[in-house]
Amino acid sequence: MTATDTILSPQQLSAADPARRQRRTAWMLTAPALALMVLILLAPVAIAAVLSFTNYSLGNFGFDWVGVENYDKLLTRSTYAKMFTATFTYVLTVTPISVGLGLGAALLINSLTRLRDLYKTIYFLPVMATLIAMSIAWEFMLHPTIGVVNQTLAKGCGTWVETLWPWLAMHCAEGMPLWLGNRRYAIWVVCFVGIWQGFGFNMVLYLAGLTSVHRELYHAAEIDGARSGWERFRLVTWPALGPTTVFVVTISSIRSFQVFDTIEAFYPIGAGPGKSAYVMMFAIFEKGVEQNLIGIGSAITMMFLGFVLMITLIQRWLVERKVHYG
Amino acid sequence: MTREWWKHLVLILGALIVIAPFYTMVSYSFKSPGEIDRGEGGFFGRQELMVDEKCVKLRDPNRDDIAAASARFPGMDDNAIRKALASEAEADCSMRPAVYNYSQAFTQAPLLRYLANGVIVTLSIFALQVVVALPAAYALAKLRFWGREAVFGLVLFCLLIPVHAVALPLYIGLAKLGLTNTYAALVVPWTISVFGIFLMRQFFLTVPDDLIDAGRMDGMSEFAIVWRIMLPTAIPALLAFAIFSVVAHWNDYFWPRIVVTGNRDLFTPPLGLREFKGGADGSMFGPMMASATVIVTPLIVAFLLAQRRFIEGITLSGMK
Repeated sequence: MTATDTILSPQQLSAADPARRQRRTAWMLTAPALALMVLILLAPVAIAAVLSFTNYSLGNFGFDWVGVENYDKLLTRSTYAKMFTATFTYVLTVTPISVGLGLGAALLINSLTRLRDLYKTIYFLPVMATLIAMSIAWEFMLHPTIGVVNQTLAKGCGTWVETLWPWLAMHCAEGMPLWLGNRRYAIWVVCFVGIWQGFGFNMVLYLAGLTSVHRELYHAAEIDGARSGWERFRLVTWPALGPTTVFVVTISSIRSFQVFDTIEAFYPIGAGPGKSAYVMMFAIFEKGVEQNLIGIGSAITMMFLGFVLMITLIQRWLVERKVHYG
Repeated sequence: MTREWWKHLVLILGALIVIAPFYTMVSYSFKSPGEIDRGEGGFFGRQELMVDEKCVKLRDPNRDDIAAASARFPGMDDNAIRKALASEAEADCSMRPAVYNYSQAFTQAPLLRYLANGVIVTLSIFALQVVVALPAAYALAKLRFWGREAVFGLVLFCLLIPVHAVALPLYIGLAKLGLTNTYAALVVPWTISVFGIFLMRQFFLTVPDDLIDAGRMDGMSEFAIVWRIMLPTAIPALLAFAIFSVVAHWNDYFWPRIVVTGNRDLFTPPLGLREFKGGADGSMFGPMMASATVIVTPLIVAFLLAQRRFIEGITLSGMK
């Protein structure tokens, strides 16, 4: 239809009707999704934002506005200082290590001629498995007396291993560590389980990324004098995997912010010795649901949302800068 | 191969650590409490007959039992009959540790009910996600209407919102409506999958318009087109999405933990496992690992049978 054509031909008139009908059906088809998006995603975020400025509790009829008091508590009280420490320790440990191990495993597996699928399958198993069940299995392995970890370590006592490894010698003398009950180790054990669970996911994404690296690039790099494997990796593989890395880092860090199952399995109350594993999801659950302090729970929720949006925005920015040379 | 040996060495060491907790879980599910305690018996344990103390205690003979049994043991005094009955009970109550652990897993807690709940919840979530997402995805991909860009923009915006961020306000809403501790509470929040809409829209963009026009020529309504033309073409994408959705919700712990409190009839498998753990003393480690094995096994077996599809499905969000 041209703009100058003001008089519609009969043919176009009959076409206008189906167009209107199509518009109506289109809205009917999207209406349920739209309604649910508003009800389940947008409205709750808005509600959490509002409630984070109140002292609301379930069962009360009204609430008082408390201004930024909840946020002020988050930033000043020592409990929440512990929360941020635990959360950032977890995110900043699990993200780089699970991405690094994922990349390492992918590179090793990709360079093999045999058994590639076997390793891939094994490394992907933890991604599939119910995390809370596996956390309990890890708890058994780390059990101070009957756990495999300490039993294995104890075998090193009195042998040459002890002389090479002062840490082991110390524990041979003083008794093996209470991995989960020890304030020094607790958060690192939680991190370890997070890495164990997540790196296979990153590996699979990296393997997919590696298939798209052009062979010619390696030849070109060799002609340019990149002889060692490290040079080839630095000049060809790593830049070509840029987009994969941005994505993998984003998704790993967002997932790390959401850690909950492991901590609830290990520490049903209190989030670890001295609250050393008091991550944000646990705090939302404990404050908002168990203690019915919805104002503070909402404030933590908004903080969490803020962190996740920040990561996503950084990702978008990096993608737009095109971290893509391959 | 000769130059690859060190790579295999590294990967095998890694594989051992990855498999270790699975090994422990399954191995404990076979062993007797004593073997678990002393860390012996290899993978399967020795499977020596063990006596279930609780079962023996339940059958502890009282006066009536002894009187009733006196006909079977003629010429014995009460004490001898008591002893005979006790040893009978002991014989009836002894079993292999593996049998003991798995039967305890199913009888100590209604594990079958938990598994059924898991199936009901994950399947309802997936079905509702498809019912909501598919028509919307079709409209966004194939129909021209005013506001389409805005709706799609909203979908992209909602993709940014992590579900964990809406958990607390949704919980408040459900509590206000008196809907906590219902199946609805477990299912409703997941009925909208913006990711599903996004994914199916991208897929539908690749479906040729001719297919849809042919349907319209045949006088099909747009609804009929969605379910009778688009749905069948979308099966491969839907399968990947199904795996993504089912794995996530079978394993989900955070949300059920929030909305289901105390009502065992609604427990999903992860919640059941947690309750088991809360009440377990040393003698229940075997049964607990047996229930963990039962809960983890379905997805692992499905994964081993259809690895490519599972990897595709779970890393779906990475394949944009």
